Amino acid sequence: MADQQRAQFDAEVRAAGLTLGDRDLELLYEMWLDWLPQRDRLRAEVPALEDEPWR
Amino acid sequence: MAVSVGELDLHSVSDALARRDLTSVEATEGYLGRIAEHDRVLQSYITVMADQALARAKTADTESERGRRRGPLHGVPIALKDLIAVAGVRMTSGSQLFADHVPTRDAFVTRRLYDAGAVILGKVAMHEWAFGRPATEGPFPTGRNPWDVGRAPAGSSSGSAVAAAAGLCAGALGSDTGGSIRGPAAMCGLVGHKPTYGLVSRSGVLAMCWSLDHVGPMTRSVWDSAALLQAIAGADPDDTSTRGARTQDYLGGLEGGARGLRLGILRRFYVDWSGLNDEVRAAAVTAFDVLKGEGAALTDVDAPSLELSMAAWAPFLAETYEYHKEHLRTRPEGYRESLRPRVYMGALFTAADYLRAQRLRERLRRDVEALFERVDLLVFPGQAAPALRFEDFPMKGLTTPAMRYTAPWNLLGLPAVVVPCGFSREGLPMSIQIVGRAFDDATVLRLARAYERATDWHTRRPDPARWRR
Repeated sequence: MADQQRAQFDAEVRAAGLTLGDRDLELLYEMWLDWLPQRDRLRAEVPALEDEPWR
Repeated sequence: MAVSVGELDLHSVSDALARRDLTSVEATEGYLGRIAEHDRVLQSYITVMADQALARAKTADTESERGRRRGPLHGVPIALKDLIAVAGVRMTSGSQLFADHVPTRDAFVTRRLYDAGAVILGKVAMHEWAFGRPATEGPFPTGRNPWDVGRAPAGSSSGSAVAAAAGLCAGALGSDTGGSIRGPAAMCGLVGHKPTYGLVSRSGVLAMCWSLDHVGPMTRSVWDSAALLQAIAGADPDDTSTRGARTQDYLGGLEGGARGLRLGILRRFYVDWSGLNDEVRAAAVTAFDVLKGEGAALTDVDAPSLELSMAAWAPFLAETYEYHKEHLRTRPEGYRESLRPRVYMGALFTAADYLRAQRLRERLRRDVEALFERVDLLVFPGQAAPALRFEDFPMKGLTTPAMRYTAPWNLLGLPAVVVPCGFSREGLPMSIQIVGRAFDDATVLRLARAYERATDWHTRRPDPARWRR
């Protein structure tokens, strides 16, 4: 699980085009892991039709 | 000088100036003297504009002598968070990267304050780029809480709160993206007002998130905040968010009282939350009783989608990353280590996350709009806990628990005011928060004033004898 999460994080960092030093990368990983439940919650939420972006 | 400015709120300074019991030069010298005496410990100012302030004060006095008083801010010394531009004065945003940055134009709100006759005393400390963490060391310390200098004032408008609470200015402006006015105001026993989004221009103000940034007052009393808001509110062609700005008479209706107002208590999400400090809960519940005693009708209400508000707030950090991307790429060492990962996180939200957040924001808006069909204002505790010791402040994590109380109202752009409602056993300020309908800041201020009038919390001052390290 931990390896899978780390691989997912590394892929997202690459996709974002970030090139970070080791220390920043580890700090970011820690923060990303900490935030993951909230992000999962955001992505799991199914918007209603009327939940349109602000216009 | 017969009047000592350090104990006064802005209203009293304004009245003393109007009565000519005090000149603007005397007031300005009074604050400059207090800054010289106390700010080595309190660390609230980054740049003190002594010469410019005294010159403005002299002009204000000359105008007064000729019978011209521009309004309640005439000659009143104000401090600005160091992300609000004053032409020719360095503006650091609390960042080493901008240590020598000097804007060439005043921010819109700076011009409005000058037009109102105010004196700008200086630029005050803040958390780095409005998203960093408290710092007592380095080139730009973020300030110490005047109620206990071993504690952080919270942020990011930390210096604005410290300077206003300690009587090192008559009032201050801060900015608020997730709670940066209301958090430090609550921690320092002040009134802090995040106005309706689009009521106050951000042109000339360094950004954190364009969609969520607000500029507003931090003061010792509700009247003070209303007077500042009156000066800075209104449309500005350089900030398109203000195109629909609808201003009101913020001072005129202040004494309208609480009678007849219908208040909704967000009990489940805020009062009953297990993370809320017990003393803050008890003080807030007592404050609700005071409001009832003043004639307001109270009822419990709920907006279930508040549960999603922090998940919906964070993807807006994509805007923060976009703002900093180039500087981060070329000079990452110009950012504190505690800030860099927070900004990098903005790069890891996808466009789909950002749009999902926008859609959930709309759901939250509908939920809260429905509440405003039944009540006039929402009321709840203003903070999760009293001020923390520096060593206890969470340095990691993308957000803090305290943001639950503030960030949802940035998402919705609704007017929100914190007002002091007591002190903890350790002598630390506590507050309630009042939220109203868009562009009805006047009613929010009216209820805050009704509560303030019924209590004396706002008259208490921190003891300068304790400002030692």
